Amino acid sequence: MQISNIGFWESWRQSQSITRKRVWVQMGGALSSLLPWQHILHAIEGKFGVGVKAYFVFLRYLVYLNLLNCTLTSGFILGPTAFYGRSISSGESAIMRDSKHLFGGNDSVLDFFLGTGYLERSPVFIGFYTRGSLDLPCLNTPLLYLAGILTMILLSLIMVVRRTIVGYKHTWMLGKRYSANMSYKIFCGWDFTIQDPASATLKHSFIRNDLKLFLEEQNFSMREAQRTLGQRVRLYLLRVILNLIVVSLLGGAFCLIYFATITSQSMIGWNWLVRLVLQYLPPMSITFVNLILPHIFRKISSFEDYSFTTQVNATLVRSIFLKLASLGMYLFFVLTTTKRHQCMENRFGREMYKLCIFNFLATFCNAFLLNYPRKLVQEKFPTSFLAWVLGKQRFLIPFNVLDLVYSQTVSWVGVYYCPLLPLIGTVTLIATFYIQKFVVMRCCVAEQRMFRASSSSVLFHFMLLLGLLMAAVTLGYSFHLQNIEPDINMSSCGPFQNGKTVFNVTKVCVESLPSPAPATLYYLSSEAFALPLILAEIIILTSYVSRGRANQKAIERLKDMLVMSSSDKRFLVKQHATMLRCRSKNRTKVHSAAVVEDNWQDPPSTH
Amino acid sequence: MGTTASHLPKDLLSEYQELTFLTKQEILLAHKRFTELLTKDEKDHQNTRVPMDRILTLPELKSNPFRKRICHVFSTSEHKDGSLTFEDFLDLLSAFSDSATLEIKSHYAFRIFDFDDDGTLDGGDLEKLVNCLTGETDDTRLTPEEMRQLISNILEESDIDKDGTVNLSEFQHVISRSPDFVSSFKIVL
Repeated sequence: MQISNIGFWESWRQSQSITRKRVWVQMGGALSSLLPWQHILHAIEGKFGVGVKAYFVFLRYLVYLNLLNCTLTSGFILGPTAFYGRSISSGESAIMRDSKHLFGGNDSVLDFFLGTGYLERSPVFIGFYTRGSLDLPCLNTPLLYLAGILTMILLSLIMVVRRTIVGYKHTWMLGKRYSANMSYKIFCGWDFTIQDPASATLKHSFIRNDLKLFLEEQNFSMREAQRTLGQRVRLYLLRVILNLIVVSLLGGAFCLIYFATITSQSMIGWNWLVRLVLQYLPPMSITFVNLILPHIFRKISSFEDYSFTTQVNATLVRSIFLKLASLGMYLFFVLTTTKRHQCMENRFGREMYKLCIFNFLATFCNAFLLNYPRKLVQEKFPTSFLAWVLGKQRFLIPFNVLDLVYSQTVSWVGVYYCPLLPLIGTVTLIATFYIQKFVVMRCCVAEQRMFRASSSSVLFHFMLLLGLLMAAVTLGYSFHLQNIEPDINMSSCGPFQNGKTVFNVTKVCVESLPSPAPATLYYLSSEAFALPLILAEIIILTSYVSRGRANQKAIERLKDMLVMSSSDKRFLVKQHATMLRCRSKNRTKVHSAAVVEDNWQDPPSTH
Repeated sequence: MGTTASHLPKDLLSEYQELTFLTKQEILLAHKRFTELLTKDEKDHQNTRVPMDRILTLPELKSNPFRKRICHVFSTSEHKDGSLTFEDFLDLLSAFSDSATLEIKSHYAFRIFDFDDDGTLDGGDLEKLVNCLTGETDDTRLTPEEMRQLISNILEESDIDKDGTVNLSEFQHVISRSPDFVSSFKIVL
């Protein structure tokens, strides 16, 4: 074998880069310990495994995202409004006049939950942000408002896409051939520096969870490999049938919501009680469907004989489909059926606000009125029939993630109409973190089966992406409505009132720019630009795809090389072991030493 | 040794420094901690053995699932009761110190994990080892089925010459692939 010479410079450079990497890793470790809730996350991971921890990490990520959105809101929207005042325009609506005295006579606590009354006149909703004294063609509060919202959505998009891709790359690189090294986990598993009994218990359960997870996966893959052809056919048939059931359930749910919406619109000639019920029929049917179907999906996925991780993911995908689609239907219903109202934007914002608040209230009630009493019953009367019926509680990751994605989607959809939603979101998410921590630590028992978090957290972020996409579509659609039918959908409040639409205001700005800029911008937004753009995208994509393929091949080859070199090493270790055994024999039988030594023509270099 | 006085004689100290991986301060601290474990009349005798249960009250060992094995491995007592003299104690600290090499650490780790002291890790040793790791009580232990599967996994991976046990060089082969063994196999007073 040839050993290539490494020069002094090269070796110095390599050692330097290793030291730098080590310093970075240590700094990263130190910084990550400064992150909030690190300790709680650690304790949760120890008790409930990586899956539950993934939920909490996701929750923390959403808090960061909302905090970022908060800063954007205050920079672009609250700041300018605070500095440059509001409403110098003549056409003040009734709401604006009311806002001089924020708390009117007939306001109640209920207004806080419904988003009416004083909240309607507060900075929570879009109606508050009228055109201020800052009135240059390209620098005015409506434009800043729009810029703020668009930046927020764009930044969120970038962040979520980045996170999804990082996770995806990670799982893709690990791939199918990844196998955990058991003996390493056993022989180097214990950390001898642990002194605290509590962390020792934690470490015990860490190791146990890890081992159980691995054994479970191995068992499953063995069972999968041992399936006969007949069993396999039967299983696929079962899966097809179950998927058909799922699809028909989803279809049924959508039909139900659709008919509820239709029925609620035809409310003529009934008495007031029926009218009230009819009016709330769509939200009620949506809630009902979202309450029942995910549990059915969970039961269904347990029959499909997937691995536990896949089961969780399948339930998640099906339920998110249901949840986002029903939210979409509801939005469509609200957007299209709102009659000409004094301030339509405020009304829409109020719906989103209500959804947000109710979602949080549901979490709260679920924790303190359902989970905690259930636990108390089990603790006080462990032998009673009721305790037996209720059973032990587990932390159902799919449903909780679903709630998070849903509330974040609502927050994104509503942020244009209710700019304080990120702030509300941050507060409710932080509260949710503590509530869920309480539920997990106090009320739940650990799952007997563990599941791997890496692929799931990619899925969590992907679903978040879907939610964001939905928000963007909703916003685009409402702008579109304003554009095609200005006289019907004209807003009577907020930054874009009195005949000014989003398009008008930006047009004024663009036209005020120096000469080449408007022409360029018009060209960029025209159809003539689309063709070159698509072509360029195709070229870039093709190059990336081919590069990706080449990389994949290289990875495959490297993996093969790794297998080869490890088999080389095994051979050497085997030689070494035989040598050692011969040596120990030699010590007792001195005579045979020379013979044995002679037999080794090729003594291993490792000795 | 040196237990009569509250401080060590100078020549003994430098000798210990030569023979272990410990620094002067570490040896003095070890001495102080060791004399705290002695009863009053034991302090007068030289070369006193401290019984295992008193050694195990040290907070550094108290939560360690391998504490008894550690004492047994480092004890030079003829009764195999795990009692330690001060020199045994220094040996222990030296092997678990920062500056001990990977080779020494893996050697002692092997001896600690070799519960029946027969020089190889067989199925019984591995079972005890896994139980130590996951916790000894009934509800924390793995089921017999899981245990059987796990041990066959370990042997498949590490038992290169297929004799049904893991010997020292096979063990060291596994350890050499783990980057953080040296930093986790550590007890510092």
